[in-house]
Amino acid sequence: MKSTAEILARIDQLTQNTSRSLAQLSSRRSFIGKIGSVLVGASLLPLLPVARAATGEARGVNELGDDQSCEYWRYCALGGTLCTCCGGSVNQCPPGAEPSPISWVGTCRNPVDGKDYLISYNDCCGKAVCACCFCHNAERDLPVYSPAKANDILWCFGTESQAYHCTVAVVMGEA
Amino acid sequence: MSSADDGQRPIDPRVAYILHCAGCHLPDGTGTPPEVPGLRDDLGKIVQVPGGRGYLVRVPGASQAPINDRELTVIVNYILNEFNATTLPEQFTPISEKEVAEQRPKTLADPLKYRAELWEQIDY
Repeated sequence: MKSTAEILARIDQLTQNTSRSLAQLSSRRSFIGKIGSVLVGASLLPLLPVARAATGEARGVNELGDDQSCEYWRYCALGGTLCTCCGGSVNQCPPGAEPSPISWVGTCRNPVDGKDYLISYNDCCGKAVCACCFCHNAERDLPVYSPAKANDILWCFGTESQAYHCTVAVVMGEA
Repeated sequence: MSSADDGQRPIDPRVAYILHCAGCHLPDGTGTPPEVPGLRDDLGKIVQVPGGRGYLVRVPGASQAPINDRELTVIVNYILNEFNATTLPEQFTPISEKEVAEQRPKTLADPLKYRAELWEQIDY
């Protein structure tokens, strides 16, 4: 029967051999790379269920201010609740809410550069209304008999559910 | 906020289209059928049948849009050139502001029925 010392020595040897062969097969760099991919993947996971508004956000717009305030420049014609207060962002619905493909479009002046921008107000649908940050800004808003320009209308068309949750404001470009 | 058309400054067709049409018909004109009809590819055929040119500015979305005839003329020609180039006839004459002024006030009491009648005249 082998002594405890012998058994421990065998285990040591085995561990050493395994580590050496592992080290020969894979570089440290590739190990770090793999760990990196796993970490990046993990950081993206929470974003996956979030549906983005159908309209693409224009890039390179400088802006300032509190996007959870009705006074924020993009919201000059927004009637509804702000998705920024409901777990979403200024141009992205909160998790579990679906952006309406159709929207109403207006223009707002960006105080940072003094330019007018086309803003698409897309409703996020499919969840009960988010009771935070209700705004009623009415620039260029028309009464409901002119439905295409009325922000009192719920724009949850073309979505699975017509339940209104909140509204995002997507910059589509310069007006 | 941009001011309304003053009749002097040039109108940017794309901006006018996005502001007044793209909310429902989407920036590339695909729409969300059946709720919102698409504006791509088929309109070049519509303009070739009698009544077709006028129809484009008599549909409720066009005739009732809060814009003047000049803006509507720019927008309807933008839609034809931008989204329907594949079906437009080679010798296509752009829709004129005069045509828009004449046709736009002719209310379509039943746009869907009128559209179906127009389509019957189109030879595929």
